[in-house]
Amino acid sequence: MKQMHPDDAAAVAKAKGGDEDAFRALVERHTRGVYRLAYRMTGKPEDAEDVVQETFVRAYRQLGRFEERSNFATWLYRIGFNCAIDYMRARPHRESAEEPETLERISGQSRGPGIDDLVYASEIGERVQTALNALSEQERAAFLMRHYHGHSIEEICNALNLKTNAAKHSIFRAVKKMRVALRPLLESAEMQKQ
Amino acid sequence: MTNWHPTDEDLILHFYDEGGADEAHRIVEHLHDCAACRAVWAELGETFKLVDRAGMPEPGPGFERVMWARVQQALPAPRRAAWSIHVVLPIAATVTVCVLAGAYAWRVMHPSSAPAATKTGAPGGTLAAVATTTKPDSALGERVLLSALDDHFQQAQTLLVELNNAPEDADDFTFERTSADELVSSGRLYRVAARQRGERQFVQMLEDLEGVLLDVARTENGLRPEALQALRARIESQDLLFKVRVATKQVHKRQKDLMTTAAAANE
Repeated sequence: MKQMHPDDAAAVAKAKGGDEDAFRALVERHTRGVYRLAYRMTGKPEDAEDVVQETFVRAYRQLGRFEERSNFATWLYRIGFNCAIDYMRARPHRESAEEPETLERISGQSRGPGIDDLVYASEIGERVQTALNALSEQERAAFLMRHYHGHSIEEICNALNLKTNAAKHSIFRAVKKMRVALRPLLESAEMQKQ
Repeated sequence: MTNWHPTDEDLILHFYDEGGADEAHRIVEHLHDCAACRAVWAELGETFKLVDRAGMPEPGPGFERVMWARVQQALPAPRRAAWSIHVVLPIAATVTVCVLAGAYAWRVMHPSSAPAATKTGAPGGTLAAVATTTKPDSALGERVLLSALDDHFQQAQTLLVELNNAPEDADDFTFERTSADELVSSGRLYRVAARQRGERQFVQMLEDLEGVLLDVARTENGLRPEALQALRARIESQDLLFKVRVATKQVHKRQKDLMTTAAAANE
């Protein structure tokens, strides 16, 4: 298990006692981290901000249940992922991130541009985000927790209330879909090298 | 070299260091000897590199401060003064006027399709009229419904926040009870209209809200601390406050979309 940031431990103890400044320090320290996961999950900045807000509000309410020996960031991100999942489930289907044909569509699109267009991180980011949006909520959450946040399969099971096999298969399916979606980018880059 | 080849799943677990030491050793040895598996492994690695390189919009320098302001505003605060009737009445009036205007306009525009119940002044009033006159293809009906839902969700949100922040020893919940009662009645009518329009998310939201609102409306002899705690637990376990906020945001977005569409059509 990851070690808790020493400043987090002190701030959590004070925040549990009702110290609002201490909770503010926790919010300010972890806001960007939670925003990143929320953005990857929802795919929209404004939705990500809503998820960040709700994550900290839930964390505040549940602070009494937080165990000192746990890692605050891990605990907080777990709340963040669940908030993001709830958020996505609550928004109407017609607004859910991507249509089923997205993988085919983005694969087709990727054959056009040359390497100059592809080297920009923002362009790649857009493609990766589109591929992420095409995953199911569970696949996306499990993959992001594993890949970007380094959570173990066991931690993912606890956070998403999944059995080991279900968590593993969510990651497998996510990686498989990401490979299909991003393969044209790799091929395009490979062709440019040649 | 053996006939064994790691599957894609084996390689993914290996990449994430989840396969165990023996398995890792076995895969490393195999990759050393097998060009085909090495190619798959390399492609997997390139895909993950691409994922790692993906940029994303970073919030501006004052983001922490802005988010703290938003969080602080949403944190449980000392109980505010009970709702003022001067605030609630105009809101209710706005909903009623909006709904009336929508129903009337619909009937004027589509006289032949107005149902008999509304022509004959059937019981149920104006809200029922909207529930029965809205057609799936009517932008007007959609606007009326969204407007009514906007107010409904905002009132419900305020009520839920009040319940969350109420002190344990509060003994007067008359206003909350009355408001919940009104919200139950109007919510049922909006639900009919929403269902007719195929707005499944809003129907579900209204159903989720009704359960808690009914509990509040039935507390004739005040709310004992344990009952208040149970209500709060229910609100929290169902994430009602969050869901209502999301629903409100969706209503606003839909209203904005409708205005944009209408403006484009007028050009």
